[in-house]
Order: sequence, then structure tokens, then C-alpha cells
Amino acid sequence: MSDHISGPRAIADPVTDITDVFAFPCPESPEHLVLIMNVFPYAGSSACFSDAVIYRLRVRSVFIASNRRAFAVAAEEFTFDCTFDVPAGADSEGQPVQDGRCTMPNGETVLFRVNDENGGSGEGLYIFAGQRSDPFFLDGPMAAQTLATRQLAFKQVGSDRLYGKNVLGIVLKLEWATLLKGGPMFAVVCETLTSGKRPIRLERVGRPEIKNITLGAKIFDPVNRDLEIRDLYNNEDAFNLSEHYVGAYRARLNANLTFYDGLDGKTGWPLDEHGNHPLTELLLADYLVVDASKPFCEISYFEIEQAMLKERAHITCGGRWLNEDVVDSILTLYVNAGNGPRISDGVDGPIAWSSRIFPYMAPPNRLQVAS
Amino acid sequence: MIAATHMNDVTELPLTDGTIALLNLRAQIEGLEPDVRLGHATIESRVSLIDLITLRGLIIGYIADYQRADEMAEQLVCDAATDGTAFVARARTRAVFHRFADALDDIDRAERLGLNSETTNGDRAAIFQALGRYDEALAIREEAADRRASFENVATLVGLYAERGEVEAAERLYAESRRRYRGVSPFPLALLHFQLGLMWMNKGRLDDARTSFDAARRCVPAYAPAQGHLAEVEAELGETESALARLHSLAASSDDPDYAAQLARLLRDAGCSQFRHWCRLAATRYDELVASHPEAFADHAAEFWLAAGASPDKALPLARMNIEIRKTPRAYDLLARAVAAN
Repeated sequence: MSDHISGPRAIADPVTDITDVFAFPCPESPEHLVLIMNVFPYAGSSACFSDAVIYRLRVRSVFIASNRRAFAVAAEEFTFDCTFDVPAGADSEGQPVQDGRCTMPNGETVLFRVNDENGGSGEGLYIFAGQRSDPFFLDGPMAAQTLATRQLAFKQVGSDRLYGKNVLGIVLKLEWATLLKGGPMFAVVCETLTSGKRPIRLERVGRPEIKNITLGAKIFDPVNRDLEIRDLYNNEDAFNLSEHYVGAYRARLNANLTFYDGLDGKTGWPLDEHGNHPLTELLLADYLVVDASKPFCEISYFEIEQAMLKERAHITCGGRWLNEDVVDSILTLYVNAGNGPRISDGVDGPIAWSSRIFPYMAPPNRLQVAS
Repeated sequence: MIAATHMNDVTELPLTDGTIALLNLRAQIEGLEPDVRLGHATIESRVSLIDLITLRGLIIGYIADYQRADEMAEQLVCDAATDGTAFVARARTRAVFHRFADALDDIDRAERLGLNSETTNGDRAAIFQALGRYDEALAIREEAADRRASFENVATLVGLYAERGEVEAAERLYAESRRRYRGVSPFPLALLHFQLGLMWMNKGRLDDARTSFDAARRCVPAYAPAQGHLAEVEAELGETESALARLHSLAASSDDPDYAAQLARLLRDAGCSQFRHWCRLAATRYDELVASHPEAFADHAAEFWLAAGASPDKALPLARMNIEIRKTPRAYDLLARAVAAN
């Protein structure tokens, strides 16, 4: 699953478990950039945000490095910190009423009420937070079966374990030229941190399916075959990886990416002389890269990165839109480098599509169903 | 600024408000239930659901949750007879109902089905501890903490030393485990405070016990066993009004007769005729529970019949049954009191 249940700590407390991150130019108004962070997989109707957690969205300007193999990230950072109160009573349906606030990079605070469709607004910012239908879809058991059998196990019609499930979403629609400096390409990372004087990072997410599909499997790793690496990885600052563990992440990525590349019996990604997979360094830079100057695009995940590797200019906004079948995009990228047919997991959509109108994500599924 | 990842000097971490945590526990359960109901759930998510329902039962003092988890675990073992994790899940629910021999059989079975002892030993140690086999439990717990001194591994040692009455070790490890806590869920810390509270109570250090139970209650206000023991301490300290207020609320909300029994005893001691109502309620419920889960409720029912129930003759066979199940110091003490009362 995208970043659902991505390590022991996330499993222990879903209110800190980031399930997905999305970044895309606003379909309604190109002067806005939309950033979305979802938490709490399989959220039941009473789910609330924690009052002890900072839900942080971090943004930095990013450029294509001169060697065209990596991104150069600006030092200046813009953070949007969302925090929540203890619920004050219940609404007419008996659901808890919770208020929140978003502190913008300029220090201004925007207040909002959780689950209020109109959200809150401040100078250059609209915000919504609340329960929504989980937009992610994947045949998880067949992804696991692929690892177990070492063969692509997906069926023509797959089974989506997240079908009809809900998450808690935070949606920011922001005037990027006003609230962010630099651009128009931005790197986006979302984090959950403990509140208080010395925040401790609990989880961080940039790209989809890094911790689960890409890093999770231990069996191919020649260095740390018994290491549950995901909590360590979650601890890291995405813009400044600790030198102590980067070798472990690199070894795991090289091994697992090589496994996926071999699934079609062809080598789409030849390793370099040191045994490094061509995607490893790019994926270690684990943030979504979105070009706010490009128009909204439905299928754009990793296009900027692929253009960079092919030494051509990118043509889409990159980032990630809610309805993109990102698992198919990732499988195709990993298995045949985009040089073969699109590889499908057999699940082509969620229970409800997201809309192009704020707050974008579909309303929560009241009657939860299984696929 | 983000604090360094591996620092060890964190003494106070913010925790999710206990009311939110309980709402979220309910939300987790609600989120997993539909797939189980429709037969689409994975074994892993069924095990998670069983654990979550058991945790809710523990926190709010709701025996019906334990019973539901127990039924689900039985069904899981039927549906997944070759999966070791199903047997571990059933071992946990069996242990909740003090069916310790059956629980140990399930752990053994899980290992024969391929789970390694590193995975199962935590559950085995918990059962050894409940049986009063402290040395065996300690060996497993210490080995786990030596291998990885995580919050979970150190916290279980606190419980073990606390139960053995080794105050110095329990206090030292309590401080150590708090330092190692890296989450915001209040449940693990509430359980930790509670274990320490039990130790102080057994040592007769009532003020310390109150501090620990109150800390557990502040983590999760709905934590019924913490409220119940807090009421017991308050009653011992002569703060009857506060104890009665707590117990009235617990006896009304929980299906565990312990609170009604405690309330009945206090009301009787205070000369209040209302005690008969709560006494009847507790007696009926204990009879039901002893009939359905004799191993789990023999000790508490015996305590009731020795105190507010005022029927020592009913207490004696239950105390004898209890000592057959587990030979803990508390079980010997209960039997001695039951014999003396007859």
C-alpha cells in the first residue's frame, strides 16, 4: 500500500501514519498549488487528528542539477504546520467536533473546523481537513505474491484492500507565488512530528510506494537481510539524509530495484560499475517534485525525473494527482523502464474518483464495503 | 528544529489526549470490521482486529470485548489452521481468560507451524508471568531487552519486576522505558503507570500508588482498571466520597462486576442500604462469568464472596480452583483467607 502501515511505529499508532502525499497545480486556478497529506489508514467514522502531533508539509524550491542526474534543492524552506485541538463535543450525528489551525511560513495562522467542506482560508491559502475516501488503490496481496514467487503475480482483475476505506486528509490550496519563494519547481515532503519544545519526527513521506513496495522486502538485500529498515527511514530528514544509514538504504534500494527490473526477463536498468541502480539516487531524494508553472495534468508522476534521466525537458507538471494509477506507473517504471507495455496490478480505480474542485478528495464512505 | 533521532534525554513527550486516543481506537476497530464481516480480511488484519478489541476491553473494562475477541480468535484458527499467527492470536485471548495451559499449547503450535521463538517468546513470557513462573518469564524478557532495548521490551520488564515486588529494579526500568518511548499514543504509558501502581499498592505505599494510578488515569481518563484501583486507594486513605463517585460511574458503565463488588463493599461499610442492589448485581454477574469462564473469574469471585458477598463457603472452592490454575503469591494468599473464613 502506498505508505499505509509503513513500519512498526506507523502500525502502532495510525494517527501518525501518513498514507499518501499529493502535489499538483490547481485544476481550477493555475496560480494555486495543491498539497495533500493523508493519514490514518482504515479510519472509522470517529477518527480524529491527534492533538500531540504536528502535521507538517515542507516545501523547497528545486532545480535540475547540472549533471541532469539529480535535483539541487534550495536551502530555504517553507513549512505549513497543522495542529489540532481536543474535540469539543459532538455534532448532530454524534461525531466529534474538532478545530485545527495551520501556521503558514509567514507566521500567519489560519483556523478551520475539521470536516467543514468550506474549510478555512487566509492570505493566499485555503485549507480543508477531515475524513475522506481513501484515493489510493492497489492489489496488495498480489504485490506481496510477486515478491514471494519472484514473478509478476497480478491478475487482469485485481482486488483492492482499500476499496471503500477512509483516511483523514489535509488539503492546502496555496498561491505559490505569494507564499513560496523561488520555484516554479518545488520539492514536497510531509511529516508527522511530536508537538512540544523538541519535535521528534515520527513519519515522513514524499513519493508513493517507497517504504512498502520499494524498500520493504528484505530478502534481496545482501547487506541487511534481517533489518526492518522503515522506521529508521521514517526518522530521516528527506532533505538531509543521515550519513550513518544512507548506505543501508542504498543497498536495499539497489537490491530491490534490481529484483523488479528482472521480472520481465530483461534488463531495463543496467547497473553502473559500482552496482548502483540508475533510479537509486533519485529515489533516495524522497520528495515529490512538482512544476507549478505547468498546467494541471492527470498522469504526471515521475515524468520530470524521467525527462531528466533522458536529458530532455519535462513536459508535464510532475508531482502527483489524486486519480493517477500510480501503482501501474511505478510497476512500469521499475520493471521495464517505460520501454514496454504498461504493467497493471489489475486495479484501475478507487471506490470514488476525486474531483477537480476543492477539497478534491471524494467524501468519506459512510457504509464501508469490501471489494 | 527537529531533535536528533537517537537521543536519550527525552523525559517528557507529548501524548495524544486520552479521549482522542479512545475515539481513534474505536475508529481503528470500525475500519477493520467490514472486511472481516464480509470474509475479505487478511489473517494479519484479523489478528490486528482481535488485538485492538482486546485492548479496548482492557481499557474500558468491558468483558464483552474480551469475549468477542476470543470468539474471533477461535474462528481465525478454524479458518487458518496452518498459520502460526492465528494460534498466537488465540493464545492471547485464551490467556486473557486465564486458560494458560491452552494458551501455551497454542504458542507451541505456532512454533511448529514455522514462527520463530523471537516472535512468540513475548507472549510465552506473559503467560509464564501470569502463572507465577517468574524466573522463566524473566529469562525471556531480559534476553529480549538485551537484544533490543526498545520501549516495549523494557516496559514488560517493569511489569515483571513490579509484580515480583522488586521496587528498585522496577523504578529504574520504569525511568528507562519512559526515556525510550517514541510515540504519542497514551495507552502504552497508561499501562506502564498502572503496573507501577499495582506494585506500590502491594507494598502498602498508598500515596505512591495513588500517584501512579492517577498518572495512568490522566493518560486515558476512561482507563477503568486505573480508576478502579484509584478508588480502592482512596477508600483505604479514607477518601470515601471520591472513591464512591468513581465506583458509581464504573459500576454503571462496565460489565465487569469488580466495580459493583467494590462499590457494594464501600457502601456496606458506610452503612448505606444501597449496597444490597450492587451486591446482588455483582453476585449475579460473577455467577454468570464463573459459569462461562471459570478460570478467569474464580479469583475475583472468591474475593467478592469473602467480602461484600459475605458467603465464604462459596469463596473456598473458587480459591481452590484458582490455585490449581496459577500458583502466584496472590493465589496462595486468597486461599489462606478463604480457608480461614470457613
